[in-house]
Amino acid sequence: MEDHLIIAGQVIKNRFFLGTGKFASYPLMKDAIIASRAQMVTVAVRRVDTQAAQDNILKYIPKECIIMANTSGARNADEAVRIARIARAAGCGNWIKIEIIPDNKYLLPDNVQTIQATEVLAKEGFIVMPYMNPDLADARRLYDAGAASIMPLGAPIGTNKGVCLRELIKILVEEISLPIVVDAGIGRPSHAAEAMELGAAAVLVNTAVATAEDPVLTAQAFSLAVKAGRLAYRAGVAAAKDNAEASSPLTGFLR
Amino acid sequence: MQTLMPGIRVFYLEEIMRARINGEDLSIASTMSVAALIAQRNLRSETVVVEYNGVILTRDKWDAIVLKENDTLEILSFVGGG
Repeated sequence: MEDHLIIAGQVIKNRFFLGTGKFASYPLMKDAIIASRAQMVTVAVRRVDTQAAQDNILKYIPKECIIMANTSGARNADEAVRIARIARAAGCGNWIKIEIIPDNKYLLPDNVQTIQATEVLAKEGFIVMPYMNPDLADARRLYDAGAASIMPLGAPIGTNKGVCLRELIKILVEEISLPIVVDAGIGRPSHAAEAMELGAAAVLVNTAVATAEDPVLTAQAFSLAVKAGRLAYRAGVAAAKDNAEASSPLTGFLR
Repeated sequence: MQTLMPGIRVFYLEEIMRARINGEDLSIASTMSVAALIAQRNLRSETVVVEYNGVILTRDKWDAIVLKENDTLEILSFVGGG
């Protein structure tokens, strides 16, 4: 049975989303996208360096991918809205990851500003994917503001610490009727599987892939882990118990 | 440059003015259009977005807009990001 993710009416064939930052080169990034068969990839918007030769990252992203620009660098809702409009004008489509970060030490998002930006951009026809601190009341506000999914962080960006906020993410999965995409902090494939077992609809990984010794193999490993975790969630894995329970019949004929 | 009569061409010294481009105050010719600036800097026009005094400028307007003193221009493009 097909188990595709659907966001804003669009079928997304792979629940492993890949960020494109920090790769040693664009060709390497491309190989990682192809090896993992990631369909959803993120990019950022920056000032052009008019002194250096520029290459076009979009050239290295396979045609079948959905490109989602992020608003990284934005410190408030106005800046995020500005970046989103620029990204759309650049021909990147309607998908936008809202990322509003006023603090440089922990890179934690500002939920209040994120809700404001979501409201504005959803009204302008964007498919809004807000990156947020996993808070139930704020997730409900994002839903009301027109978000297409909710993207809680597992741990601070780039820390590779895993799904540290699992209990809060689990609450979002249970209470919010939007796809929950665990974004940030996922360091290894087992973390990604854990997020999927919790019921996340997808995970977005960047640093852990791009900075691995072999980003192409790592991307593949993540993609497989996401599939395994998803299957486990759908299967309804057995609960943990405090006491042992034999898995072989203890027929007792030895005594 | 203007043509007064066939064979005679008169050159005017271009005036220099200041404009803020990607956060830097730069001196540019006062007759420069956005399209000319993009070309002069060897930027591939299909890969960049231009914001002119805070407003996104679609490509079809690049020729028509000639930069004025104290204009602000942001020239942006996509890069890797998570």
